[in-house]
Amino acid sequence: MAEKVLLIDDEVEFLEALSERMELRGMNVTTAETAGNAVTALDTNEYDAIVLDLQMPDMNGIDMLKVIKKSHPEMQVILLTGQATLEAGIQAMKLGAMDFMEKPADIESLTEKIRKAQAKKMVIVEKKTADKVNDILKSKGW
Amino acid sequence: MTQTMNTREGLQFFGRVSASVSHEIKNVFAVINEAAGLIEDFTLMAERGVPLQPERLKNAANSIQGQIKRGDSIIKNMNAFAHSTDEGVREVNLVEILELTTALATRLADMQQIRLTTGDCEPVSLSANPFDLTRLLHSSIAAAVDNLDAGDTLSVSVKPVNGGASFSLSVPGKDAPLKSDESFSSLAQAMNVSVTMDEDSRAAVLFLRAQ
Repeated sequence: MAEKVLLIDDEVEFLEALSERMELRGMNVTTAETAGNAVTALDTNEYDAIVLDLQMPDMNGIDMLKVIKKSHPEMQVILLTGQATLEAGIQAMKLGAMDFMEKPADIESLTEKIRKAQAKKMVIVEKKTADKVNDILKSKGW
Repeated sequence: MTQTMNTREGLQFFGRVSASVSHEIKNVFAVINEAAGLIEDFTLMAERGVPLQPERLKNAANSIQGQIKRGDSIIKNMNAFAHSTDEGVREVNLVEILELTTALATRLADMQQIRLTTGDCEPVSLSANPFDLTRLLHSSIAAAVDNLDAGDTLSVSVKPVNGGASFSLSVPGKDAPLKSDESFSSLAQAMNVSVTMDEDSRAAVLFLRAQ
């Protein structure tokens, strides 16, 4: 199944080229140039993974990560940034980011991480569904 | 003590500009990396029998050329900024220094969704310390941007006035007050620059006296 990816970055040419390369690798990619557009995309579509820049005009990547994790806790987020510091990486991982990559990134490493993200999200969603079913069964005395 | 503080604040400013420039260059490399990667992808596909699409190749090549121009401009500005520390006080072309500062501060404005432009300027040169002047103008742009809303346009310009020069920071249709900033105020004071609001144009005005 094609991985559904939301790519968030304010560099339009970067978004265009990277999304085209990811689509050539069989992925289904949506792009957002601002945090606002990303939130709208998240509200209206399902994604397996998000690739997020750390610096954007309307919201920094760490704050965006918090927003995503609050509304979609199971979402797997990979930070892809030119501003890669160890501190930012540690902070992002503490906030629930799945991984942290520095620009310019190797496309094969990125697609590999996206595939892992899809698998990880699927496990989390399946576990959540199983827990829900168990809760319903328990509440009915089964 | 004051000298040490000035040196430290000057270094901090140099560091901030360098960090911003290095981030922009990283972005340039990132676009080139993806565009070149796209050309490689098309080539690999062609080897497997998928017909090459010249238009897509051309777009990727154009993107690389555009980013190289962008990178060259960023490096030229950084080089001019680095050389602003070569001498102390010298004759400075204020239009050139304003254009350089505007270029260096564009990313800062972009991050707050403010469009930064150089308005109509009149040729003027004065004896000044180019590094301190760049720092003062950059700080004034930062102080103005902090008081604006996303979508605003901040226009900066310079013209000769009474043997000195006046830098103007204006926003169409609204006041352009500078956010109070101790570092900016003390630098303006040290450089004998007065900061006022022009009630007619609603612009913040920095008046630099001839030394």
